[in-house]
Amino acid sequence: MRFDPANDYPIGQKRPDLVATPAGVPLDGITLEAMRRGALAWGDLRATGDALRLQAEVAAAAGRRPLAENLQRAAELATIPSGTILEIYTALRPHRSTAAQLETWAKKLEAANAPLSAAFVREAAQVYAKRGLLAD
Amino acid sequence: MPTSASRRRGSREQRELRKEVLITPYPELGLIAMDGPNDPEPSLVIDEGRIVEIDGRREEEFDVLDWFVALRGIDVIAAAEAAALSDDDLSRRLVDVDCPREDLVRLSRGLTPARLARLVSLLDPVEMMFALKKLRARRAPANQAHVTNLKESPALLAADAAEAAARGFAELETTVGVSRYAPLNAIALLVGSQTGRPGVMTQCAVEERRNLQLAIQGLVTYAETLSVYGTEPVFVDGDDTPWSKAFLASAYASRGVKVRFTSGGGSEALMGHAQGRSMLYLEARCLSAVRAAGSQGVQNGSISCVALVLSVPGGTREILAENLLAAWLDLEVASGNDAIASHSEIRKTAKLMGQFLPGTDFVTSGY
Repeated sequence: MRFDPANDYPIGQKRPDLVATPAGVPLDGITLEAMRRGALAWGDLRATGDALRLQAEVAAAAGRRPLAENLQRAAELATIPSGTILEIYTALRPHRSTAAQLETWAKKLEAANAPLSAAFVREAAQVYAKRGLLAD
Repeated sequence: MPTSASRRRGSREQRELRKEVLITPYPELGLIAMDGPNDPEPSLVIDEGRIVEIDGRREEEFDVLDWFVALRGIDVIAAAEAAALSDDDLSRRLVDVDCPREDLVRLSRGLTPARLARLVSLLDPVEMMFALKKLRARRAPANQAHVTNLKESPALLAADAAEAAARGFAELETTVGVSRYAPLNAIALLVGSQTGRPGVMTQCAVEERRNLQLAIQGLVTYAETLSVYGTEPVFVDGDDTPWSKAFLASAYASRGVKVRFTSGGGSEALMGHAQGRSMLYLEARCLSAVRAAGSQGVQNGSISCVALVLSVPGGTREILAENLLAAWLDLEVASGNDAIASHSEIRKTAKLMGQFLPGTDFVTSGY
């Protein structure tokens, strides 16, 4: 059955068939029993890119374009290591990076299958150049 | 012996209200609630789908907030629709029972910060309350609770969190005295809250980077520490830009954490770079940036600067106007009421009525 972003929210209640952990465990597989058996790892209890893309569809269907774009970027970042995310955040703070350094991050994001986040970093670099917010 | 002319006057002078500091507006320092003499005239110029002027500033004069709003925050189709309506017409729709929320929200996406501020300033406080009730995002109002413990005792924190959840608070917030304890407090709050009532959301308010680490570890379920400011120098002084904050919001969301930004009137004046603009106009810039960043909500209504805003004429009305603007921009609003606003119990209650009577999404940001 196709996902209907206007009616299938909350997804966990209306379309639990579409939600799974990063390892592919379905929603009803997340139980204390499974945890005791060792069938669930700590890293399994987190958002997936697929779930976030569905959330983005819901936001877009409600006319919330910036929220949808945010969730699409989040979907790209779901598989990127936390350390890298913290590094990119730091690089985007004022006066931290040169234009070349931001371009390097954009290329890394592209290589990590995160084109929207890469474009977002490039957009920041252009505005930072105009406003003197790049590193000297 | 009382020094006053009469005992009656003497007793009046002892009232809490007399401890208030009220100042004459000083627009050059941003110490003016709304309709400042230096606020720009609203304008929006679109050239082949690209925004080239916002509120009197051409592209070459854009600061970092203008750029962010121009590139991400304004819907050019809604802008054309809104441009065809007069200020009176638009502001009357805010209080028209026959004009549905969805129409107003659609129109808000085409409005510039200066126009947003001007339109709500045409309403009196009762009209603002009515509009706020109409525009609230959640079906029913809710509340946040603060759960803290002087001794940072995890057992007591968990017990208080369980009680807060059982009593119906939708979100619980804690913080720490000693930052190393943050993970422990976050766990206590998470365990306690889910014991009291599953599904209640929790956060631990600490410094930005540490907060994100807690989120990555799955110890908190929402964050609302993403502060934004209405002028470029204050934003940069806070060591962020709209892009870094928006990236942070995506990072939280990528770990399944709900994100709410924080802004509030008076913060720019307090930090010394209001650029001569009124509190409401600068807050409208913040809210436009928050929406453009893709946040689902905002904590606003002066928040920690509330005492400053209440010291200028019209401060209470300005705070209500901020909350209204956030709701109009389709943002879930946590409307403050958690910092000491006044010495006077009566004045504090009067301020609270603006959010309590219409019922914002979260009437208090920490009960």
